[in-house]
Amino acid sequence: MTEIGFRLTLTFIQIGVIVGIVIVTVLLLTLAERKVLGWMQDRMGPMEVGPYGTLQPLADALKLFFKEDIVPAGANKFLFTAAPLLALIPAFIGFAVIPWGPDLTFDFDGVTLKPFVISDINIGILYILAFASIGAYGIILGGWASNSKYSLLGGLRSAAQIISYELNIGLAIVGVLILGGSLSLVQITNAQSGWFWNWYAFSFPAPQIFALVVYVISAVAETNRVPFDLPEAESELVAGFFTEYSGLRFAFFFLAEYANMVLVSCVASAMFLGGWNAPYPGTILEFMGLPSLAWIENTMWFAFKTYSFLFLFFWLRATLPRLRYDQLMRFGWKVMLPIALANIVITSIAVYLFPNG
Amino acid sequence: MQSFTEWFKTITLYEILVGMKATLGHLLNYKPVTLQYPHEKRTLPDNYRGMLALLRYDDGTEKCVGCDLCEAACPSRVIRVVSAEVPGEPTKRYSKEYYMDMTRCLFCGMCVDACPVDALGMTREFEWAVYDKRQLHLNKQQLLAIGDRSFPIREKRLELQHQNTAFFNVAFKHVPQKPN
Repeated sequence: MTEIGFRLTLTFIQIGVIVGIVIVTVLLLTLAERKVLGWMQDRMGPMEVGPYGTLQPLADALKLFFKEDIVPAGANKFLFTAAPLLALIPAFIGFAVIPWGPDLTFDFDGVTLKPFVISDINIGILYILAFASIGAYGIILGGWASNSKYSLLGGLRSAAQIISYELNIGLAIVGVLILGGSLSLVQITNAQSGWFWNWYAFSFPAPQIFALVVYVISAVAETNRVPFDLPEAESELVAGFFTEYSGLRFAFFFLAEYANMVLVSCVASAMFLGGWNAPYPGTILEFMGLPSLAWIENTMWFAFKTYSFLFLFFWLRATLPRLRYDQLMRFGWKVMLPIALANIVITSIAVYLFPNG
Repeated sequence: MQSFTEWFKTITLYEILVGMKATLGHLLNYKPVTLQYPHEKRTLPDNYRGMLALLRYDDGTEKCVGCDLCEAACPSRVIRVVSAEVPGEPTKRYSKEYYMDMTRCLFCGMCVDACPVDALGMTREFEWAVYDKRQLHLNKQQLLAIGDRSFPIREKRLELQHQNTAFFNVAFKHVPQKPN
């Protein structure tokens, strides 16, 4: 096999593994969300399929797979078909630059490979933001192409909301970029090793705790989750931009929403909470004399942080009612944006005053 | 100071944290209030008003005398009674046909109250979901069948079971008639 073929094979295996992990996570999330939401509301959640409803995601997937695929009359067929893909692909493509584990390099027959990140490009976070913006097109086009007023309203709301809050996400992470001096998520995560006060959320010259809060709130808004779920407000807009979608296309939108949740949680834990770094220097497994297994502990820490953010998403959904549209806009532009800007200024000054902090 | 407290609460998201504490409390002290319905059913109250049924006397004859009072009492026009004379007994009547359109019934129980001979009863059946609406248009035989399976012992009001009181009973031929 030629070198390029070998390299491609390795990369495809990596992509397959990571897409598999993400899809399994999404399946788990659909169940976990309903269960956690049920428990918080003194209900039981799904209980019928499998023991304690554990096979519910499989049943849902099967049902969506075999459902009739309806294209509404008057819909723009091409865009109606393209929109779910436009939402799904950007949601999955962002995982290419997320470091899941320690920054190791393996050598297979002269082909070097980083096993825990598909592609360590030096503009990693910019790449994620760019594709997140493309994901908004899927929602807007899906809303427009359905030829339904509810879909259109949902799509328009989503457009305004995602544009407003993407700005805040971009500005919230600028502080981290100033501290880290890089756009690569791998290097940002590497720079946060050691004790947990090295994590950028708490690090010395300018703790990014406000940026973290702004990021999390904006991320909730960007993924169209409660309390910012105006695009799919079921009490007003039936289901928002995917009102007219059914079957597999609906499943694509659903998958995209949850994959986006996982993605923003991964970015939050990588940028603010040290990614795969444990809250103590090194790892326990390394200390016990198993340095070759240390990556298990590191990936577990990454998973723990990510799942904590996902749990926060469910928790917020169980707690908060939906915002009104003007409240959403006012909150985004008049509260989040000034905080994010002030954070940039303060971080810049602090980094200037303590260049070695 | 007041305004400072308010401001501090706002910037620390105090109210949201209080709400989140409440939801987390429910998660940690998890006591579900739901019943898994098809597997476990709740206890019905004693005066539960379920499916309507026509009743019989202990010897199997119908109680209904075809007086149409239930039809008059019904606010939703559920009931339709076709009354007729008992063949060979011109003083006695019975319901030749008896229809109920249960799609309209609101289970108020006024027909049961109106019935002078307690020929109508409300059972404790409530699982009457059907795929075809027409299955809810019940005739006399179906209503009697519901009564038979719900009230195997027909002792709803014992005083009405007495031979002398059950004046309209068409079946007790061995009982001497009341003197005119």
